[in-house]
Order: sequence, then C-alpha cells, then structure tokens
Amino acid sequence: MPQIRKKKLPEAEIPTSSMADIAFLLLLFFLVATTIDVDTGIGLTLPEYVPPEEQIQAEVSKERLATLLINENGDILLNDEVVTLNQILEKLKPRIQSKIDLPSNKKLIVSVKTDSKTNYNLYIQALDQIKEAYFEVREEYALNNFGRKVFNLNEEQLADVKEKIPITISIAEPEVVK
Amino acid sequence: MKFEKKRAQTKQNIPTASLPDIVFMLLLFFMVTTTLREHDVKVQYRLPEARAIEKIENKRVVSYVWVGRDGRIQIDDNIVTVDQVQEIMYNKRIDLPTIIVSLRIDKNSKMGLVTDIQQELRKAYCLRINYSSIKKI
Repeated sequence: MPQIRKKKLPEAEIPTSSMADIAFLLLLFFLVATTIDVDTGIGLTLPEYVPPEEQIQAEVSKERLATLLINENGDILLNDEVVTLNQILEKLKPRIQSKIDLPSNKKLIVSVKTDSKTNYNLYIQALDQIKEAYFEVREEYALNNFGRKVFNLNEEQLADVKEKIPITISIAEPEVVK
Repeated sequence: MKFEKKRAQTKQNIPTASLPDIVFMLLLFFMVTTTLREHDVKVQYRLPEARAIEKIENKRVVSYVWVGRDGRIQIDDNIVTVDQVQEIMYNKRIDLPTIIVSLRIDKNSKMGLVTDIQQELRKAYCLRINYSSIKKI
C-alpha cells in the first residue's frame, strides 16, 4: 500500500512589517484626542438647603467667628475693620493658630458674604487668601509636629492635621430683598 | 597612497521586530488614560487666578457648569436659565451620587448670579463644588 504523504504546505505568514504603522496611526489618534489638563480650582462644600421658614438662627460666639464682607466697590470688611486683599491672610493666620488646641466646636469659622454686584474675581481672590491662610497654618503645624511637609505625611498624621485645623468656610445665606 | 575608510564588518541594522510591541504599549497607555472631550463650550469665559488651588483627581465624577461673560449659563451642551439648573443637576446627582460640580465662571461675573446658581445647586443637593481657577504664578 502506497503511503499517503501529507502534502507539504508552503509556509503561510502574515506580513507584520506594517503592523507598526497601523499601531502608530492609532497611537496618533489617541495622542491628539487626549486632554491631559486636570481641572484645578478652589473646592468648597455647600451647606444643605433649608427653606427660609425652617431656618434656625444659631448663635455663634464672636470669638470663633471671622466675618468677611465684600461689597460692590471692592471694599473688604473683616470683623468690622476695613482691610486690603493681602491683609486677609495675615489677619486670619494668628486666629487660626490660636485655636489649634481647642476642641472642634471652638474652631474658627470664616463667614464670607458678598453683595450681589460684587465682582466674582474678587470673591475668588478673597477665598484664595482664606484657603492659603489655612494651608500655611497646616504646613507649619505639620513641620513642627511631624517634621515633614503636609504632602509627605502619612494618613494618620494627615487626619490629625485635618482634625486640628479644619477648614470651615461658611457662605452666608443670601438675604431676601425687601 | 589610497586612504580607505575602515568599516565594521557586522551588519548595521536596528532590529525592528519589537517595534509594534513598544508602540502598542504606548497606545494602550493613552487609550486607558483618555477621557474624550465631551462638551462643546458655547460661552466665552476667562477663569480667575488663584494660588491655593487643588486638583480634582477623578475626572469622571466632575460635572461642569459654565457661565460666560455675557451671563449665559451652559450645562452639558445646552444654554439654560437659572431656574432649570436645579432639575438638571438633580437628575445628574441621582445618576452619580458622588458628583462634584465644577463652576467655570467668567472672572468678571457678578456675585448675584453665582449665588443664584449656588442656591439652585443646594436645592439639588449637589453640595460639593469647585470654583475652577487657574494657578497664579
């Protein structure tokens, strides 16, 4: 019986030389379509909405309250004292620092109130100053207690910093126009 | 006397067999990190500058509200009025409870409008907001 011989197949190959080109094309598409820019800004948590008739006036002692009023002309009033934009940081810092060791219900509250015609940019600048004051205090506290920058703290230490120096910024309830 | 340049006897080509692999690796990285530009911004705005700013790490939970220099408000791809903000944002919050609303407001806007939008956001329980601003150098 004659042996059945398998036919030898010619070598089949997929040409892969253009694979790189195809991949490059795809890569180019994603490179162009990608937006790397991250959104940066000043974060804030708004209070829950309470209808005006259900609002309760809570008394807050003057000792822990820093009120910041900004009117339409760009004048800034910090605790009944006219200040410039750059003074906000200097004025707030010692007050935040003096309250580091106090319990959480005695920490500083910064209340910001604006006029309806106040410039938005000015409001952001003021908010920036407040945030910066808090960040600087946090930075100093971290450096003195842990010998590191806030960025390099571990979770436990960071929690401690956040507990000691919480950022409480209150946006005043808009008043109803009479 | 004739001078002749000395040449190496070995073949001089770069192996390109692994090139596709390298490219695919790069490609994969970009495919994973890409979030495609979703919105067509119709209002003109210039963001304010600030120093003490934070980054929002997770881009996917961010929802934008634009306010142009002419006071028009844009959410998603539509120009809306202040009264509509509450309903739209409420629906968004139901889909995505951890939503962060990024306010991209023109720096010459009036606070009255900003406060109005904030009140609407509060009614819609979108309490985490972010005043989008550029890093001041």
